[in-house]
Amino acid sequence: MMDKWRLLQTGYLSAYTNMAIDRAVMLSHSKNSVPPTVRFYGWKPSAISIGYFQSLKDEVELDACNKLNIDYVRRITGGGAVFHENELTYSIVISESHPSIPKNILESYGRICGAIIKGLNNLGIESNYSPINDIISNGKKISGNAQTRKIKTVLQHGTVLTDVNVEKMFSVLKVPTEKIKDKLISNVKERVTSIKHILGEEPTFNEIAYSMKKGFEEEFNISLVDGELTKEEIELTKKFENECFSTYDWNHRK
Amino acid sequence: MRTKSVYKIPKGKILKISLDYNEKTNIINDLNISGDFFAYPEESIELIENELKNTVMENDIIFKKIESIVNNYKIQFIGLDLEGITKGIMMCKK
Repeated sequence: MMDKWRLLQTGYLSAYTNMAIDRAVMLSHSKNSVPPTVRFYGWKPSAISIGYFQSLKDEVELDACNKLNIDYVRRITGGGAVFHENELTYSIVISESHPSIPKNILESYGRICGAIIKGLNNLGIESNYSPINDIISNGKKISGNAQTRKIKTVLQHGTVLTDVNVEKMFSVLKVPTEKIKDKLISNVKERVTSIKHILGEEPTFNEIAYSMKKGFEEEFNISLVDGELTKEEIELTKKFENECFSTYDWNHRK
Repeated sequence: MRTKSVYKIPKGKILKISLDYNEKTNIINDLNISGDFFAYPEESIELIENELKNTVMENDIIFKKIESIVNNYKIQFIGLDLEGITKGIMMCKK
């Protein structure tokens, strides 16, 4: 019989809440309280997430973020700074020992990215995994991904770009010098693509989420069943939001 | 003396080192390793930062010390490597 995993569709939430939910689900799954879980979500207000090892002040124009009402948060996963605006974000939480998850970390990136690639294919977009942590379509990045492994559990989250506003992105992300800003903007425009750019139109968030759901089901040969956060996960989310992701100490720790 | 380096790991990610060292003794007082790489477990970078305090800034000494930490704690890097961290640190030496 086909395995049933949980699907969470939590809509648009703040950066702190989004990162807190991913961590709460990870902890909850590690205690066997919930099945493997896939979540689709968005960010309101728009936000920047930085990698666990990045320096906030090195990567983010904090004054510009405050002026434009853009949140910023440190992730528990490594990788680079991401401006979350026009995108669908996914996360998957699953045991490290699950037979579908390769022990080798890089191989497991490829396997999970396989679900996103199938999801994009369902939208009519051909793409492939580009190690270390990207998915590319026609040579251009359409998805960035980041994974952590703790408490014998894998959390991978990533973006699927629906549209890109490179100028806005570089108004809130730090660039080495103003002098090369224009060059960086044109470089990124050449290296990054989006669903809207490829299809000529932007499907709705729900249409993209449906395609991605099918992508996960096809890749892992499972059935994703709509679910909700448990009471324990809601409590954990509040705790992680208040004690970690919204705090100065966490976000400015590097 | 506080210095910084930025080093793109070949086929990897960006590594940024900020460190404070004694110019006379070449001993590291303080060290901060940042960047868009991945390290498993994540806490290992903090461990390396702490273990390298009071270490002499010489290529072989730094490399062997990091190598020993990585082996002892079974640390895995993605987009980062021993040579890269050592190089990033040595680039801070003026």
